[in-house]
Amino acid sequence: MTPEDQVSIAVPTGVLLDGALALLAKSGLARLSAEELGRQLLIDGGALRVILVRPTDVPAYVDHGAADLGIVGKDILWETPGSHYELIDLRFGGCRLVLAVPDASGFNGPQTWPPMMRVATKYPRTAVTWFEARGQAVEVVRLHGSVELAPQVGLVDGIIDLTATGRTLRDNRLRIIAVLGSSTARLIANQASLKTRTAAVQSAVSRLREASGHAS
Amino acid sequence: MPGFRDLLPLEAEILREAQESLLAEMRRWGYRHVITPLVENMDVLDLGLGIEQRRRLFKFTDPRGDVVALVGERTVPVARLVAGKLRTAPLPLRLCYAGPVLSTDEGRFQHRRETYQVGAELIGASGPVADAEVIALAARCMEATGIRRYQLDVGHAEFFHGIMDAVRLPDDVKSSVRAALAARDFVTLESLLEDTPLKSAEHELLLRFPALRGGPEILQAAGGLVRNRRSEAALAELARVRELLVAHGIGDVVNLDLGAIRDFDYYTGVIFEGYGPDFGRPVAQGGRYDGLLARFGRPAPATGFMIQLDLVSEMLTRAPRALALPRLDAALAWTGSGLTTALRLGSTLRLFGMRAVVDTQSRSQAEAHAWWRAVAAANLVHCLTESMVSWSAKGRRTRRLPPEQVAARLAGGLK
Repeated sequence: MTPEDQVSIAVPTGVLLDGALALLAKSGLARLSAEELGRQLLIDGGALRVILVRPTDVPAYVDHGAADLGIVGKDILWETPGSHYELIDLRFGGCRLVLAVPDASGFNGPQTWPPMMRVATKYPRTAVTWFEARGQAVEVVRLHGSVELAPQVGLVDGIIDLTATGRTLRDNRLRIIAVLGSSTARLIANQASLKTRTAAVQSAVSRLREASGHAS
Repeated sequence: MPGFRDLLPLEAEILREAQESLLAEMRRWGYRHVITPLVENMDVLDLGLGIEQRRRLFKFTDPRGDVVALVGERTVPVARLVAGKLRTAPLPLRLCYAGPVLSTDEGRFQHRRETYQVGAELIGASGPVADAEVIALAARCMEATGIRRYQLDVGHAEFFHGIMDAVRLPDDVKSSVRAALAARDFVTLESLLEDTPLKSAEHELLLRFPALRGGPEILQAAGGLVRNRRSEAALAELARVRELLVAHGIGDVVNLDLGAIRDFDYYTGVIFEGYGPDFGRPVAQGGRYDGLLARFGRPAPATGFMIQLDLVSEMLTRAPRALALPRLDAALAWTGSGLTTALRLGSTLRLFGMRAVVDTQSRSQAEAHAWWRAVAAANLVHCLTESMVSWSAKGRRTRRLPPEQVAARLAGGLK
């Protein structure tokens, strides 16, 4: 699929795109604009092939070997663990996965939670694991967008969602009562690419490591 | 049913041929074919499998109340066999197997719950010579299926165990380190190791795990860093195995991979994986598992490997020179009393190794030609009477001949 010395990297659309392109430019691997990539989805730049995919699809491209490397938020990896290597914390796209309830809600610490907590989220797997580890029964309502709305109309007690600045939560009169984890962009690698095309892949990895501010 | 599928003639043919070439290569190395049942008692599987593997088994109770399961791998059944029915057979034993394995989880890649594995086990032999034999066999097996480019990555479980012994960390951190490595999560690993005050060469090695691979020079480099006997012994053993693999003639397809991440509770020594071209995951996996046989009451060192037959045949299906189904050599049509001629001629042609199909109904000349096109055979022999047939082949005029002459010409054409 990919020629011997070419490395392919899956880059996510959405909030991480600008950071990912800045990192690729800084590392000297590729200088691309979001518009350019958005038009073509796939750009072959000699030593590097850049593939633009939806954030949740990055692990699939990497796990199947359609891309050697991928840039993806840790939040996505929580939901879809795979057979890839998670190599580098790229140190951008920081956000937290939080449990938030309406301002007026009486829920705070775990001792104040009801016997059965109802939460809405785009992260059902992570949510269930987290509550289970705390011995809390939970009913997860899986939503695909506008999760903030759900508690306001009485669908659920709270939501589990990503927040970078907390602004959307405040705008919707929600307050954070627990932090499940923090996420940043990660570099992931296909397990076979590291072994069958070691030199090219490792060289790209170390350039990205340096560009993301790690000591080489 | 999700995860289960039919293999149509072309796919089935490729899979069967790959399986036969694998078993044939194994037999050439002195491995004897055994067939273990698709169903095993849970008591047996409990002895050999980890919790996760047990969870993924299809289980049911048989009418006697025993909990039984469909096998999810076939090394444990082979170990049961060696410690049971074959307990008087002298060691070392060389055995091979082929068959389907089942899993309740759909695989991460193909969403298949039934897959096919072909494997070989060398039981009762320890040391680099046995390790190298099995690795070389795996290499020749991949070659035998017709995979053109492949490579084998060889590592050692003891190298990792030595590092974990030597690295100075509290027990709870150590188990987190193991978990992070098992999940191939080097970001978590790095933060775990960063938070600890005592930095050693072993810290460095753990962090560089995915990059610890290459040729023989990697052994020297790692040897300069480790300061524990377990890892040092592993490096020495790997060096010897590499020499032997060169002697086996497969030095150029072997890489050393000290950072191989495998099930370290199961593997006790040299481990390896085989990769084909442009395939995102290993096709062959194996290694030394000296602890398993003792659990069945016949302690013995053992090593072996398994090839994912599905992946091999997928590779072959996608190969540039796509494989075609073998063509029928002859379509034998008949009219009236020509039937006995057709049956006799069919037997004769098959004796010569040709593929011949005899029609099920009497047909006119025109109908016979239509049927010939439908079955896509190289020749049409329309048997008209007991002594006369009409022989057609692509690009040649149709001729009337006695059946013996047609048989002789077809068989002669084979040479």
